[in-house]
Amino acid sequence: MKPATQPTPAPGTEPASVPGTEPASVPGTEPAPVPARRTGARPSTAAASRLRYGAVLTALTAALALAVVAGLSLGSVRIPPGQVIDALLPGAAPSPFRTIVMDVRLPRVLLGVLVGAGLAVCGTVLQALVRNRLADPFLLGISSGASTGAVVVLTLGIGATTAVAMPIGAFAGALAATVLVYGLARRGGSMTGTRLVLAGVTVSYILTALTTLVLVSSARPEHFREALYWSLGGLGSARWDALWIPGLVLAAALPLLLALARPLDLLLVGEEGATVLGLDVSRFRAAVFILVSLVTAVLVSASGAVGFIGLMVPHAARLLVGATHRALLPVSALGGALALVVADLAARTVASPQDIPVGVLTALIGGPLFLWLMRSRNAQGAVL
Amino acid sequence: MSAHRSAHRSAHRSTRALIAAALLLPLAACAADTEKKPADTKAADTGGAFPYTVDNCGVKTTYQKAPERAVTMNQHVTEIMLELGLEKSLTGTAYLDDQVLPRHRKTYDAIPVLAKEYPSKEKLLAANPDFVYGGYASAFDAKDGRTRDELKKSGIDSRLNIEYCAKGRTTLDEVYREIDEIGRTFGAGDRAQKWITEARATVKKTEERFKGREPKPVFVYDSGDKTAQTVGGTGIGNELITRAGGRNVFAGIGKAFGDATWEQVVAGKPEIIVILDYGATTVEQKKKRLLDDPVLRDVPAVKNKKFAVLPLSDAVLGVRAPEAITKLASQFSE
Repeated sequence: MKPATQPTPAPGTEPASVPGTEPASVPGTEPAPVPARRTGARPSTAAASRLRYGAVLTALTAALALAVVAGLSLGSVRIPPGQVIDALLPGAAPSPFRTIVMDVRLPRVLLGVLVGAGLAVCGTVLQALVRNRLADPFLLGISSGASTGAVVVLTLGIGATTAVAMPIGAFAGALAATVLVYGLARRGGSMTGTRLVLAGVTVSYILTALTTLVLVSSARPEHFREALYWSLGGLGSARWDALWIPGLVLAAALPLLLALARPLDLLLVGEEGATVLGLDVSRFRAAVFILVSLVTAVLVSASGAVGFIGLMVPHAARLLVGATHRALLPVSALGGALALVVADLAARTVASPQDIPVGVLTALIGGPLFLWLMRSRNAQGAVL
Repeated sequence: MSAHRSAHRSAHRSTRALIAAALLLPLAACAADTEKKPADTKAADTGGAFPYTVDNCGVKTTYQKAPERAVTMNQHVTEIMLELGLEKSLTGTAYLDDQVLPRHRKTYDAIPVLAKEYPSKEKLLAANPDFVYGGYASAFDAKDGRTRDELKKSGIDSRLNIEYCAKGRTTLDEVYREIDEIGRTFGAGDRAQKWITEARATVKKTEERFKGREPKPVFVYDSGDKTAQTVGGTGIGNELITRAGGRNVFAGIGKAFGDATWEQVVAGKPEIIVILDYGATTVEQKKKRLLDDPVLRDVPAVKNKKFAVLPLSDAVLGVRAPEAITKLASQFSE
C-alpha cells in the first residue's frame, strides 16, 4: 500500500518532457493546431459541425442524467427502485432508505458532478495556459499539497473531529503548494509556462515525499487507509453541508473560466502571436493560474485528489469537438462530471460492501475508454 | 496444520501421489480445523514434559527444554508471558501499543526494553535470545532480516501469535490454544491450563448474564471519514462482540478489519457503536464525528447516544480477551 506515491505527476510529465513546452517547434508539444484546422473546414461543413456539437452536448447531458439516476439507485446497500422514488418524493417519512438516498447518495452524486466538472475545466484551461498537453491541475503541486495537509491533520489528530479538520488541512496544504509554486515560477514579474510546470513538478515531488515521510513515521496502518482516500480521492464523506463551498466557488468560477475561451485560443496560436493580438501573456497566465489553483484546492479539499479527470477528459473532449475553447470548455465540464459520477458509482459497487478510492476507477475505466477514443479518432484523421 | 505437512511429505513418492495429495489438501485443511479443539483441552499432564514439539504457523519446532532467554516483540505477547509468570525466562521486551496491564506493570518495568518499537536485527541478536515471540506478522519482517528462518539459522527459536496464521475466524479457542502452547513451550503447562479454566469460567459467567436475550446489532468504528473503517467477521474483535452479547453488523466482511460505506452503517441500524480506542484521535473526537454526521442522525445508536469503548490493545489474541468481553458486556447492557 503506497498511498502517498500516487499524486506524483504521471510519468510523462517528468522534467524531461517539460523543456519542450516553451518553443512551439519542439516535438511532442505542438501547440494544438486544431482551432485553425476546424475553422479551415468552413463554410461548407459549418452547419454540420454545429449540428455535431449539439449532438455531443445532448448526448453528454443525457448520459450525465442517466448516471445521476444510477448513482441514486445503486450503491453498497440494495434499495428497490420503488423505494428510491418514494425516498425522493417530498414529505416522505424518515427511514434508513430515505437517509441513504437523500443524505448519502444525493450529495455524493452532486459532489461528483461538481468536482468532475471543475477538475476537467481546470485541466483544460491549464493545458492551454502552460501550453503542455500533459498539464493537469495536479501537475502543479496542488493535489500533493492537499494530500500532505490532510495526512498531517490525520496523523497528529488535530481538530475536534477529523470530518471538519481534514478538509481544512487539505485546503491549507493545497493553498501552501500554490503559493510556493507561484513564488518559484515568477521571476521579475514574468511567468513562463516552463517555469510554472517545472516548479509545480518539483514542489509536487517534495510534498509527496513529505506525505510518505509523515505516514511512515506515524506507523499506524489505519492512517494509510484513510490517507489512501485522500491521495486517490473518494466521495464517501460527501454531505449536504460539505457541498455549499465547492458549489458556490464553482458557480462563480465556471462562467469566468468559460469567458476566457478567446484569450486561451490566442495562447494556443503562440505566445508572440497572442502578445501581438494584445494579450499580456505573463500577467494573464499568473492570474489564471491563481484562479485555477484556488478552484482546484476547494475541490480536492472536498473529494481528495481524484486523478486522471483533469488530464484526460480535456483530451477526450478535444477529440470530440476540437480545440476551440468556446466549444471545448462546456464539453469538458459535462464530460468530467459524467466521468466522475460513473467512476464513483463503480467505486462503491464493484467491491461492495467495501469502497474503493475513486481515483483508482477514474483511471481503470477512463484509461481504456480514452485509448479507444484516441485510436478510433486517429483512424478518422483527427489530431492527437 | 500437521496434517498439511505430512500430506506434503508422502507426496514425494510419485506424481500420482502428488495429485492425490493435492486433491486431498483441502480435506486435510478441514481436518486440521476440526482437530484443533481437542488440542487445547488435552490434559495438563505436560507441565514439564520435554521434548515438546509444536507446529506454529507452519514452523515445526522441537523444544528439548524450556527457552531461558526469551524476547517478546509486542505488547500482547509480553502480557501472555507475564500472565503465566514467566518473567524469569524473559530477557527483553519491545513495542508497546499503549500500556502494559497494570497488574504486570512492576514485573514489566524490571525487564529490559530492547526498543520502543521493533528492535533491529543487530539489537535483537545483541540480547542473545534463544526464543523470539512475535505478536504480529510484522515482528518477523523480512526487510529487517528478522524472518523466523534467519533467526533459526542463528540458533534462535521463534513463535508467532496464531492470530496471524489462523485460517478462517479467530475465536476464543485460538486464545486458549496460544496460552496452552506457550505454557507447554516454557514447561508451565499446568499454569496455562489453570488460566484457561478460569478464563472459560469468566466468559461463561458473562454469557449467562444475557442468556436468552436477542443479540444487539453493533457497529465498530475504528476511524475514517470517506469510509467507515470497521471490524469484519474474522478477527478476535468480532468474537469479543459476539461473546459480549452483540451482533457485529459487518460480520459479513471476510477480514479482521475492513472498510464499509456510510450507507451500510445506516442500513445496518446498529443499536450500539463500539469505538476502538488507540492513537492520536481520541474517543471523544470520534464520538463527536459520529454525533455530528447528519447521515447518522437516525441510526438508533446515535439517536440514543449508545456508545461503548474498546481499547485496540484489548482486541488482540491475548490474555485480555476474557476481561474485554466482560467490560463490553456491561457497556452493552447499560
